[in-house]
Amino acid sequence: MLIRALAISVGIAVLAGCAAPTRYIDPAADDGPVAMTMDYRDFEKAATDAVEDMLSSGAVNNPDGSRYIMVVSRITNDTMQRIDTDQLTKKIRVSLLRSGKVVTTTAVGLNGAEDEMNMKARELRDSEEFDQSAVQRKGTLQAPDLSLSGKILQRNHKVGKEQQVEYYIQLSLTELASGLAIWEGETPIIKRGSDKSVTW
Amino acid sequence: MKSLFLASLLVLGLVGCASQPETNTTMIDRQELRVDPEVVYAADVTELFKSRLTLPDGSSLLQVQFAVEARSDTELAWKVTWFDDLGRVVKGVGESYRQATLLTGQPRYFKATAPHSRATSFQLHLREPK
Repeated sequence: MLIRALAISVGIAVLAGCAAPTRYIDPAADDGPVAMTMDYRDFEKAATDAVEDMLSSGAVNNPDGSRYIMVVSRITNDTMQRIDTDQLTKKIRVSLLRSGKVVTTTAVGLNGAEDEMNMKARELRDSEEFDQSAVQRKGTLQAPDLSLSGKILQRNHKVGKEQQVEYYIQLSLTELASGLAIWEGETPIIKRGSDKSVTW
Repeated sequence: MKSLFLASLLVLGLVGCASQPETNTTMIDRQELRVDPEVVYAADVTELFKSRLTLPDGSSLLQVQFAVEARSDTELAWKVTWFDDLGRVVKGVGESYRQATLLTGQPRYFKATAPHSRATSFQLHLREPK
């Protein structure tokens, strides 16, 4: 019994010793292995391509000098992975905000307001418990000018003894006044690797 | 004579103790193009253009375009860092290097646009991904 317990302990100790140590990865200097699934580097590339193209095309430049108001619409995940598309849209929103050209509304969304506090705060109207001078007045919320929508596609192919996974990140920026897509972009991300890799 | 000598010493001592006057921040000359030796061995940067793109609201964005031609098939990683007129970094979308594959003799053209009109200068760094 004692020998068995000792053998198990030694086995665990050896396995723990062989395990790769947990470490921080600096996104600015990450030359680490590439995954067949979509990782943060892919989202960063797609967001960089999209924002640079939006800015240089002049699509997000309001001729009157003020900022456009953008709403994030549906970004369809048509891949085999569970992707939170906010990983992509957040980077785009942050960069557009920093550019000084676009601000995103959190008061409107396909499934209700992104920040429900926009409406909750207005329910304080006529409440005797609150100083009414600080309660939001009617007609202060800003309607969006632009809508960001898109789709992430995945296609798998067998190439010889390898597997090729293609991701396409497609985005459209629609001018809500006219319904016209004033900017569109597609970033392909192609990966080739072991046929044994799982991409979901 | 002795008192004059002592007075001089005292003045020198006081000057030595005085705090240094404030000087303006010295701008270090920053190279616009930095190419790592491994890349120099495998490829040439044949062009490097910069221009300001005028936007409809009258503002402008700094744009950089460069061309690379490889002497042998190689991988390249590149990144542009943007700076404002005080030399401070202007944050872009991401921080990571963009990767490209170069085929022998194939010229490749790459373009980057500054994230804000505040960006007035840049540094392009080319390195070989490990």
